[in-house]
Amino acid sequence: MTTPMVEGRGICKSFGAVEVLKGVDLTVTRGEVSCLIGPSGSGKSTLLRCINHLEQHDAGELRVDGELVGYVAREGKLYERSDREICAQRAQIGMVFQRFNLFAHLTVLDNITIGQIKVKGTSADLAKQKARELLSRVGLDGKEAYYPSQLSGGQQQRVAIARALAMEPKLMLFDEPTSALDPELVGEVLDVMKDLARSGMTMIVVTHEMGFAREVANTVYFLDRGIIEESGDPYSVLSEPRSERLKIFLSKVL
Amino acid sequence: MTMNGDAEVKVVPVRHVGRWFGGAVALLFLAMLVHTLFSKVPTGSVRCHVLNGIRSCHNVMTWRFSWGTVSQYFLNGEILSGLVKTLELTILAMVIGVGLGVVLAIMRISPSRLLSATAWSYTWFFRGTPVFVQLIFWFNINAVFPNITLGLPFLPVAFFHISANALFTPFNAAFIGLGLNEAAYFSEIARSGLISVDEGQVEAASSLGMRRSQTLRLVILPQAMRVILPPTGNEVISMLKTTSLASAVGVTELLGASGNIYAQNYEIIPLLIVASLQYLVVTTLLSIGQYYLERHFGRGASRTPPPTPIQRLRQDFFRLRSRALPSHRAPVPSS
Repeated sequence: MTTPMVEGRGICKSFGAVEVLKGVDLTVTRGEVSCLIGPSGSGKSTLLRCINHLEQHDAGELRVDGELVGYVAREGKLYERSDREICAQRAQIGMVFQRFNLFAHLTVLDNITIGQIKVKGTSADLAKQKARELLSRVGLDGKEAYYPSQLSGGQQQRVAIARALAMEPKLMLFDEPTSALDPELVGEVLDVMKDLARSGMTMIVVTHEMGFAREVANTVYFLDRGIIEESGDPYSVLSEPRSERLKIFLSKVL
Repeated sequence: MTMNGDAEVKVVPVRHVGRWFGGAVALLFLAMLVHTLFSKVPTGSVRCHVLNGIRSCHNVMTWRFSWGTVSQYFLNGEILSGLVKTLELTILAMVIGVGLGVVLAIMRISPSRLLSATAWSYTWFFRGTPVFVQLIFWFNINAVFPNITLGLPFLPVAFFHISANALFTPFNAAFIGLGLNEAAYFSEIARSGLISVDEGQVEAASSLGMRRSQTLRLVILPQAMRVILPPTGNEVISMLKTTSLASAVGVTELLGASGNIYAQNYEIIPLLIVASLQYLVVTTLLSIGQYYLERHFGRGASRTPPPTPIQRLRQDFFRLRSRALPSHRAPVPSS
């Protein structure tokens, strides 16, 4: 059996006195799409951000591709990883944010090449070539010279996906990628994500798009109050919910 | 304009009575200003001449603001070398101020409490004491440290000795003092720029695997520049004039040079005007430079960059011309 892409055991995270994650277990196998659903404040985004160490979990074991996130285990001790090592880990994990977070002072092309050139050390020519390929893959041919502010939300989010993909990540994290979009723009972003899922990318998606979860996800996790209340294949979670909380949640969002 | 497809309807523009009145008052004051600037006053001497056997006399008049003397000294060698000193002081002090200021700002937002407290204390001290006092302090530093040694702290190891008098010449004391003081102010400007950049930009850079220093250099600083530049323009222009304090420690900069001249010929006001006009010329050039720098760093911030003044003048010119020609009517949007 191959090691899972993401493996979490008893992950806890508090912000001050507020316990956001209270022992989360999850296993994401390679090539699988996992959707995290749940009410706001349930810890979905925090869990996602722990996976690429934007937040440091307080307790539990979290591995990406077999490696501990943020630590090295040696002789029964956990050594915190250096900045350099954490950056190297992050560079292999793509992340797409709710608010796009494109670099506002850079053109679309520079947004997609900056990581390749400055982090991976790719030559500018190769980086540009790759950026153009990715732009065409997300349906944005010819937008190279635009600044993010000149694009619609849906276009910006597709650029953000291209920017993350340019790093050739082994895992993609999506933090409510369509929540900041006008309803008519949601589809174009979901289409790109579906396409990506079909290509075999391992994806973890925090989302409120139940239709997307039903259609694309291999596993759906329902988070509530910092624990995974229910998980399983989309049909059993979304259509035959067992827990009372999930039933209430679904009745609100569906 | 047409209404509901009817015939042409005349549009009566709204009258801005207050605006017209204010404009008239402003124009009146402007006329008074120009008049007094170019008015003439009697010198006190009287000149007489005889024409056709009739002797007539009149007062000799001169410019109230002695424009003759002003133009005589405007390109005077001493004034110009003073101007060069002023520019040198401004540039060197700003280089120290900006360089050290950015470092202080980064220290200030560092997670290390010690670094942040150090930066805070620096700003507290240098903002809290008069820059004039600081200049005189650096000029007299040899009273405290006669010799300055570069070596290992607390150890009897020295690489390099220099006497304070040799290092802190009037000019060096002036630009070092002004620069260290400027750093305190600039650190706050830089910090405001750094914290103005959205946290999401940092997260996006981190998620690409950028290190903290790369994030700062490639993502945060370029965007902070948009916020930093306008107050920095202020600081440069302010520094240009604050360098006149250097005359107190014996640097003959622009104001000092004009002071040296009027100490001999008593033409105080004309020479102050000469110095002021020189400051204004440099300030104008700096303002133009600032405008174009802001445009450069503002790219991406708005969908359509505003036109440059030259483009705007050209637009105004074409609009006036199209209004003057009846055949070129501005198209009215049909709604």
